[in-house]
Amino acid sequence: MMLMLKSVDELLLHIKEVQLDVIELSTESLLKMSSYIEKNSLEIDEDISTALQYQDIITQQLNATIEAIASMQNSIERFSHAYESDENLATESMLKLQEKLSITLKDAKDKKSRFAGKHAAQHADDEIEFF
Amino acid sequence: MPLVIFVDDSETALASTRMVTNSMPIEVKQYTEAQVALAEIEAGMVPDLIITDLNMPIMNGFEFLKGLRGVPATKRTPTLMLTTETKPELKQQGKALGLTGWIVKPFNPAQLKQAITRVLRLPA
Repeated sequence: MMLMLKSVDELLLHIKEVQLDVIELSTESLLKMSSYIEKNSLEIDEDISTALQYQDIITQQLNATIEAIASMQNSIERFSHAYESDENLATESMLKLQEKLSITLKDAKDKKSRFAGKHAAQHADDEIEFF
Repeated sequence: MPLVIFVDDSETALASTRMVTNSMPIEVKQYTEAQVALAEIEAGMVPDLIITDLNMPIMNGFEFLKGLRGVPATKRTPTLMLTTETKPELKQQGKALGLTGWIVKPFNPAQLKQAITRVLRLPA
């Protein structure tokens, strides 16, 4: 059990590191492109603007999953401590872990939808809404 | 020239807005942290328009808006939310806090330009 959880934790850490690299590289890439566009006073159309803005959405989505991974790692760590201190509590701790992971997944899915902007809101009005 | 401030924790989002505002007759200041922008406003900076993101660490867009409304010089300054969020309840919350409008990312550059022009009453 503990060995399996250790492997899961290591895998989560790896995914988190890859995602952080993706954020860093895509940010650098976007900033280089925008710097080139600005330096050369190039006009961008709506499609290019949207493409450039997707990087922000990608970053938000990845950050949300990084948060979820951190939360999962935290829950696994707590379970491991509980399990190591009293194996009799394993079932109870496992149920708590399962509950925490479900909450984390629900929160992450909610953020996926919230941070997608117009990309997810298919019926979102393209107009700016004034109050 | 009217001063427009942009607040977004994403440098790439700020770069995207710069490409729209570069050709406009406005002065632009950009901040990646709302609390820094608010501190400058509290110290005397008077923007004519504020465009802010909602989800930001340390101080989010609503907290920033509350802070702005607490400063006499920006009590009524037009403020637009530029965010990925589309939930009606969040829009209502923003409206109750005195928000001027809501723009969903990714924004349409022509419409953002039009909104700034409209709010600042710039020549079209």
